[in-house]
Amino acid sequence: MTVKRTLAFLILALMALVLAQSPLDKLKAALDRLRGPAHQGVYVLTVERPGSTKTYRIKVYTDGNRAHLRVLEPRSEAGQAFLSLGQDLYLYDPRLDRTLRLPPTGRTERFLGSDLTYQDLMGRDLEELFQVAEAQGVLVLTPKPGAATPYGRVEVYLKGDLIERILYYDQRGQAVRELWLEGYQRLDGAYLPRVMELRDLLKEGYRTRVEIQEVRVGPIPERCFNPLALERGC
Amino acid sequence: MTLLSLAWRNVLRQRRRTALLSLVVVYVTVAVLFMLGFLDGYGESLVEAYARYVEAPVVVAKEAWWEDPDPTNGFTELPSLGVPYTPRLSLYVLLRSPYRTEGGVALGVDPEGERRLSRVSVKVAEGRWLEGKGEVVLGYRLAERLDVRVGERLVLETGKAALGLRVVGLLRTGVSNVDFAGVYLHLEDAERLAGTGVRATHLAVEAGRGREEATAQALNATLPPGLKAKGVWELMGPIRADYEGSRLFYLPLLGLFMLLAATAVVSTTYVSVRERLREFAVAESLGLTPGRLALQVALEAALASGVGLVLGLLLGYALLYYTATHDVFGPLMRMSVEFFPESGLSEHLYTAVRPVYALYASLVVVLSGLLALLFPGRLVLRLELARYLKGE
Repeated sequence: MTVKRTLAFLILALMALVLAQSPLDKLKAALDRLRGPAHQGVYVLTVERPGSTKTYRIKVYTDGNRAHLRVLEPRSEAGQAFLSLGQDLYLYDPRLDRTLRLPPTGRTERFLGSDLTYQDLMGRDLEELFQVAEAQGVLVLTPKPGAATPYGRVEVYLKGDLIERILYYDQRGQAVRELWLEGYQRLDGAYLPRVMELRDLLKEGYRTRVEIQEVRVGPIPERCFNPLALERGC
Repeated sequence: MTLLSLAWRNVLRQRRRTALLSLVVVYVTVAVLFMLGFLDGYGESLVEAYARYVEAPVVVAKEAWWEDPDPTNGFTELPSLGVPYTPRLSLYVLLRSPYRTEGGVALGVDPEGERRLSRVSVKVAEGRWLEGKGEVVLGYRLAERLDVRVGERLVLETGKAALGLRVVGLLRTGVSNVDFAGVYLHLEDAERLAGTGVRATHLAVEAGRGREEATAQALNATLPPGLKAKGVWELMGPIRADYEGSRLFYLPLLGLFMLLAATAVVSTTYVSVRERLREFAVAESLGLTPGRLALQVALEAALASGVGLVLGLLLGYALLYYTATHDVFGPLMRMSVEFFPESGLSEHLYTAVRPVYALYASLVVVLSGLLALLFPGRLVLRLELARYLKGE
């Protein structure tokens, strides 16, 4: 009897081990959820600087991997549009009436002068460039040898299976950026945060907040992901 | 008594006048020497900076690369030039630290080849020079801007690839381009970043000082079609135009200075001759020909300016020697470097000291003599002997 119990316990333990997610799997799953379902919505981007605040309303079309963004407000910048197709990034400027293809390095540029980069919005750097470990429920990411990241460590805080906070450290152990994700909504079997907030921890008063509004889940027409759609609209 | 001693005695007769004249010539001689030494020193510092730090004594590249310095116009196979060279791969990169992102030009190099050709490798102020792949060496001012330190990782990105390289050294060369924007990495890392199969964009060739242009010409005569060699002067950017513009501006200005000094000497001599017309008439009546009298006047002018020239040469060369051996222009150059960090200016400028400057400066004596012969000399030549002997 005791032998049977021990065997059953061992089998259960083995199954638990097999089924348990590795820290990398947890990270991948969390990032997949972060992407949300195919949807369109209005993202309100608020860029705070000491003594000034600028707000953009941006129409977003995304299938989870590709994204088409179009600035609606302020009027002075309305019509600017961005298209992210994997490594390819396109920018349309109505004042120039021209679509420009940005080099992949453009992915690390700040988006509309905010603290966000295109990489923050669409990138998968965290799983590609870092080794993932888990300590006290926090995913601790350290760069792979020779990885193309300037950060020394990244901490990903999960709430359940969803990312709640990402903390970026420089190579001297000082936290430099912090990304908060709040108010997840379940949409068509996937999750989408209602609010993203990024703070530059080295510069007081530098903060960028993204509120996701007017979300409509559903397939996005393929034409939206054609660079020509930047000029004529999706 | 020779004309020369006669002229010398006359010069000494008016000591105060001669002293004033000499002062003018001293001033001009010192100015000529200093400006020539400064301009040549400036040129030499530019050649040194570009040949040993920013570029190379001679650079060979495809003509297409000279037209458009894009890595795709580089070498996929390294050619044989018949002379030793070190390959380099230059490419635009984005440099990313946790605090700042900045664009720049990175230079992929063979660390050992650079040791032989460039002085950059011996100007590492902190850390060490490149030894292998995965490393990067930066100009110290660039490192300050990016806020990266030795031992930290810096991301270099191009449109083709991105690498995280460890900063192993910081350069302090005193040459603005290198200190403010220098990014050196291993040639193989640069090849990966270029991502086009290009192994080098250009080839740096050694040439002795002053032999750069000749070496480039000799190479051009033997290079395969499609390749072109350029000497260091051709490799300089807009700073070369600044240097040549300075020469174009200052050399005629110095000529004008000398002419003015000679005119000052001659006008004084003219007054002196007018005061002494009776004396000249007596000398002529005693058998001295008008031509010899005119020559005496010219000699007087030349001697008066010659005294100034000798003093000026002494003072001028002393000044040049001092500024050639002491970093007098350091603060001025450092300020210029701050204003024009991409100019290739050096933080140090030492004047050149060349014997030929004395020859140029002595032109003022020749000019004084010639002008004296033309103007006060003509007074003596047209002398109405009877009128002056009568004392009218």
